[in-house]
Amino acid sequence: MTTRRTLLAAGAATAVATAVATAVAAPAVAATAPLDAATLVGADPIAHLVRRATFGPTQESLAEARKLGAAAWLDRQLDPAKIADPVCDELMTRLPLAGMSIAGVRGKIAKNSYDGFKQLGRAAVARAAWSNRQLFETTVAFFANHLHVAAPSSQTWDSRCDYDAQVIRKHAFGRFADMLKASMKHPAMLTYLDNRSSTKSHPNENYARELMELHTVGLIYSEADVAAGARLLTGLTVDKTNGTYLYDPKAHVTGAVSILGFKHANATAAVGEAAALAFADHLAKHPATAQRLATKLCQRFVADVAPASLVTKLAKVYLDNDTAIKPVLKALFTSPEFAAAIGQKTRTPLEDLTATIRTLGLGPEKSGQQLLDALYNGLVNAGNAPFRWAPPNGYPDVAAAWASPSGFLMRCNNHLNLAAGWYPSWFTRPADLLKSLVPTLPGTYGALVDALAVRLIGAKLPAQHTAAVLSVAGKLPTSPLTASDKSLAGHAPYLIALVLDAPSFQVR
Amino acid sequence: MITIFDCGETTLSRRGLLGAATLAGLAGAGVSTQLAYAAPGYTGDTLVVLSLHGGFDGLSALAPIGDPDYYKARPNIGVPKAQVIAGDGTFGLHPALAPLLPLWKSGQLAGVHAVGQSNPTRSHFAAMEAMENAAPGTSIRSGWLERMLGASGATGALAGVSVGHAMPNRLFAGPTPSVSMSSVDKFTLAGESAKRPMAAALRTMYADAPVLQSAPALAADSALTATTAVRGTTYTPAATYPATELGNALKDVARLIKAKVGLATAAVDCGDWDMHEGLGTAVKGQRMHDNLTDLAQALAAFAADLGPEGMKSVTLLTISEFGRRVQENGSRGADHGHGNAMLLLGGGVKGGKVYAKWPGLAPGKLVAGDLAATTDYRSVIGEILQKRCGFGSLSQVFPSVAPSTFGLVSAR
Repeated sequence: MTTRRTLLAAGAATAVATAVATAVAAPAVAATAPLDAATLVGADPIAHLVRRATFGPTQESLAEARKLGAAAWLDRQLDPAKIADPVCDELMTRLPLAGMSIAGVRGKIAKNSYDGFKQLGRAAVARAAWSNRQLFETTVAFFANHLHVAAPSSQTWDSRCDYDAQVIRKHAFGRFADMLKASMKHPAMLTYLDNRSSTKSHPNENYARELMELHTVGLIYSEADVAAGARLLTGLTVDKTNGTYLYDPKAHVTGAVSILGFKHANATAAVGEAAALAFADHLAKHPATAQRLATKLCQRFVADVAPASLVTKLAKVYLDNDTAIKPVLKALFTSPEFAAAIGQKTRTPLEDLTATIRTLGLGPEKSGQQLLDALYNGLVNAGNAPFRWAPPNGYPDVAAAWASPSGFLMRCNNHLNLAAGWYPSWFTRPADLLKSLVPTLPGTYGALVDALAVRLIGAKLPAQHTAAVLSVAGKLPTSPLTASDKSLAGHAPYLIALVLDAPSFQVR
Repeated sequence: MITIFDCGETTLSRRGLLGAATLAGLAGAGVSTQLAYAAPGYTGDTLVVLSLHGGFDGLSALAPIGDPDYYKARPNIGVPKAQVIAGDGTFGLHPALAPLLPLWKSGQLAGVHAVGQSNPTRSHFAAMEAMENAAPGTSIRSGWLERMLGASGATGALAGVSVGHAMPNRLFAGPTPSVSMSSVDKFTLAGESAKRPMAAALRTMYADAPVLQSAPALAADSALTATTAVRGTTYTPAATYPATELGNALKDVARLIKAKVGLATAAVDCGDWDMHEGLGTAVKGQRMHDNLTDLAQALAAFAADLGPEGMKSVTLLTISEFGRRVQENGSRGADHGHGNAMLLLGGGVKGGKVYAKWPGLAPGKLVAGDLAATTDYRSVIGEILQKRCGFGSLSQVFPSVAPSTFGLVSAR
């Protein structure tokens, strides 16, 4: 059988040559080796830091980081209480359920209503796009994904918002051991992973397995560990009357356990809860957990293939600091491995959307939440709406997991929709977007695209990409540009969109 | 549960870039787009792979009603003998599969039981990765459907498609270009016109981009040409699909098959089978019952839409990362297990029966509490690849796996 691969390989050289020879409006397809990701975004270390530590640089955040310097900007971001956040604070008043307690939610909405999930998801989009506490928000997103409880998910209509506030946001800049124990005592987690219905006679294994595999040590457990863990976790459940956490000693299986180096007599039902929490502490401080968290943090903030040297370093910082998260982040962002990883991450659909909003300088709607609805729903279609991943492992964080044709088209369509102001239409927009991005028009179309790229991405596009952008306007880089050029307004949204479509903007 | 991906590396190589660029180049150079996406090169069945993520409970779908240990292990969630709607006394069809009963009776639907992986794990994520990779113990890191596509000889831009999600399907991970789309109708590029050739500009910008960015961009470009042609004619299905994700996805698969775009294989995810809690009894409102109803309605519509003539060249099969524990738990559910069942649907299927080397459910026959897997799922697929998809050797798809000898399908 002739394989598809050989057919394609044989045709490739011819096809490239033909395209070069027949190119008319569009410039020639280059037959050179792929461009290096680092060359697409430029070498500026400050811009690199801001691209990674935020949901996308804004003009203001870049200017601030340049003024303060990397170390001082990082310190400031690590102390979010001192950063004013008026735009986001106001937006949150429109989403009162996000962050509300279980009793509060129960008092506001009907049983099994999706309103809590809805406000929570929109709050995450709003914070990503417009919070000034960007490193806090990216860290929150990381840990929400790590100790993932899907929203929507069944029977968590009343508890999922509280979980976000009291487990993830409360501890994101605190200690991981505290966050893990808080999750273990939270109805949302106990519901999502079925521990609430685990019984003495037939323990439900779901939570015990994922607690080890996903939340802490990884795939180093045995099936006996799962069974023992499931027994140890019995009794951690949810109060049927008010939906809050409850330890029910009558449901707890007593008896000594030995799991991954953790030993406990677990002699009476009265000590069951303490034993379970001690197990969580043991897991949080396990070297394998340190290694796994360090790896995942590197995948989030440094590169898809975590640098081994940095993983080792961060795991040590994590253990030396009693699982405190801030010192790990500081070590990460100031490491030579981080500095060397320019261009090594690709934006997820959420990041592409927030980076577009932030770099274009689009503001939230004046009132209501039609805009947030539209942004959230667009992310549902892209498969990347906050908290929406169904299984408990959280969204993948490597480029290959998002590298799809459909996803590519959605990004491009989004760029044009936002640049043109077509949809969503509720943003607060500059009166003249092009003018706000490039206040002084240069003399040629090529220089205009250069200026757009520097403003939107932080670096000029490669020359052949600039020419490609201009091809949709029927212009060459040398085509003269004057303020009286009547075609400019019509071309502008397409030029802006294509700059955002460029490979340079996909790189984080 | 929806598509699962974890942090494993997906190999996208320069070869993938060139492959996608070739198609883009052909279209751009004015070669007939018909030629570019409907070129012959594969003449086997369209293989539709339905991934039942989360751990499908084969012991409910095809209940072993003749095995007394089944009811001992599952006093609350076992499917009662009196409720199965077809079968042979050993196995019975779950009542929620009623929409598929005509296909069962006409012999287009079969089951295979006690199927599993050669190196079982009860981790969803490890098991799924292994199932999609299907080459344990080797250094191969691609998806098995990608390898099937690569070796098939199919040349079109829409030869391998996953439908229903914007994210790539890991079954297609690897260098052979494939297309993921949430739907045929949504697979469009905004702003594209003769006056403003956006696609051409993108093609140029991605020709020399790093492969992680360029591969999806260039695959999208060539697939756009093909899907634009498909959308040129309105599609009126010959059956009513349920308004579910699965129904919509299978409708698009049927649409692509009928449009003769050269679809060699399609992958569709159908999730939410992880039932530790509330798997329930075989009545409406219980999770397994309702999920099976959704599955059966969508499959029945798919078969009706294609019709007997269309189904002659289609084989659909289901896979799942593992089955569930034989013993029910305290939550009217079942925890992660091993041995499982597969469903086969197609014109070439020798259906109306369940194929199995049944190991039995007596405590002594179980493996760590699980139904033993006596048949490797890859050997089931291997038999289909050989008899329906024109593969001589399986070595490029499933190294060192022999096809099953059940006689599940007739040779084309």
